[in-house]
Amino acid sequence: MIDLLGFGGRGWGLQLLQGMGMTLLVAVSAYLWGLLLGGAAAALKLSGHRGGRVAADVYTTIVRGVPSLLVIYLLFFGGNSAATWVVSLLGFNGPVELSALPVGILAVGTVSGAYSAEVLRGGALAVPHGQVEAAKALGMNRWLTFRRVMLPQVLRYALPGLGNVWQLTLKDTSLVSVVALVELMRVAYLAQGATRQPFLFFTTAGVLYLGMAGLSGRLFARAELWAGRGVRRAAR
Amino acid sequence: MGPDEFRGPMTQSPAVAVADQANTAIQVRDLHKRFGETEVLKGVSLTARDGDVISLIGSSGSGKSTLLRCINLLETPDEGQVWVNGELIRMGRDRRGHAVPADRKQVDRIRQRLGMVFQGFNLWTHMTVLENVIEAPVHVLGVPRGEAVDRAKALLDKVGLGQRQDYYPSQLSGGQQQRAAIARMLAMQPRVMLFDEPTSALDPELVGEVLRVIRQLADEGATMLIVTHEMAFARDVSSHVLFLHQGRVEEEGTPDEVFGNPRSERCRQFLARGA
Repeated sequence: MIDLLGFGGRGWGLQLLQGMGMTLLVAVSAYLWGLLLGGAAAALKLSGHRGGRVAADVYTTIVRGVPSLLVIYLLFFGGNSAATWVVSLLGFNGPVELSALPVGILAVGTVSGAYSAEVLRGGALAVPHGQVEAAKALGMNRWLTFRRVMLPQVLRYALPGLGNVWQLTLKDTSLVSVVALVELMRVAYLAQGATRQPFLFFTTAGVLYLGMAGLSGRLFARAELWAGRGVRRAAR
Repeated sequence: MGPDEFRGPMTQSPAVAVADQANTAIQVRDLHKRFGETEVLKGVSLTARDGDVISLIGSSGSGKSTLLRCINLLETPDEGQVWVNGELIRMGRDRRGHAVPADRKQVDRIRQRLGMVFQGFNLWTHMTVLENVIEAPVHVLGVPRGEAVDRAKALLDKVGLGQRQDYYPSQLSGGQQQRAAIARMLAMQPRVMLFDEPTSALDPELVGEVLRVIRQLADEGATMLIVTHEMAFARDVSSHVLFLHQGRVEEEGTPDEVFGNPRSERCRQFLARGA
């Protein structure tokens, strides 16, 4: 039975590895897209601009309030019909199907970003205002103040929360299997169907997810240690 | 001499302003500042010439800290003018009619010439003491890192922190943090130093070490505005004292005049209560 996991003739090893690679690709891309989106949303929420604040609130409230699966369906099937309509305007007909990978990244990242936004906003609020005033008083402009004073400290406060968002994002990638993207979850599903060994393949997939989560968790722990320099030392 | 003698400050060319204020470090005219309904400054004027050490005293809520923070635009004055080394800080209005700096770059440039020391030190906690001190010279003035480090070390020696350059702020006492903050300010070689209650957050036994550093700077001829509750220190170190009361300058003069023989009843009461 174990040869089903191997790389031989009947083995699914290669597919499982490829699926894992696809899962990581979607997770990392979606996470980074989410950080960008979340950073922008957090900045808007903290800005004095009223319209921007409202837009960011609407985004985080809606996206966090509906299931991730719904966002994926909406972007994928909604995107397909929108694309079909656009193409029909141009005089072509026939249904258009968007590629699952970019839409999957977009969808998972949009969900991830809504959570990142709240974490980053909290991080920014935790930086004492006096630190920014000190930078201003020395003649540092806005960008320099952001880059040298705010950002490192926002990261310090936000990293534990961002690690959480990463874990959620990693697991959310499994939902993209519903639009036939062949990532780890999809491979496990296909394999158990072909071999009638659901327990073996779902357990294997679970172990692989745990491995990815565990490894990245340690990376985040190290990043937290680095970002907390100057603070942890005194607490020790 | 000052803007009072101008034929209307709006029509003055900057060249005239500079000529008229040759040795004027700070000139503040008719400053008003409101926080919501409360008018914190109700028309304050002051002049600091090069080498002046001016203490601002008064009870809390008198507006002395706000006045200081209006000079480097950490607070935006609603009305009035501020000149720094003869350069008028240009103000405009935003869409809602609130006063805002007309030229953010000018404000950044002027702040480079105005050092400020805060009550709460405000050192950057993710940087060592040395990194705090070289940050602005390297990134704002473009001083080569090696040169900035050498100068920072000399400054840290001067404030008695030569052995602490690689410590993080959280590893230092309040007095040490404040002296590090003074070194950080000095690294920009400011023309004027603003001290906003530099010892108010310190344990009593740590106040002396910070005051000694400030006194040394004053003795070296630095131009200073000091908001303080340390009356003995103010009397000793200042060339000029302003007593603020409810957003106005109630009394001003030499330390001997203000402390020795205050004319206003409120100042007399304040001094009797305080020191």
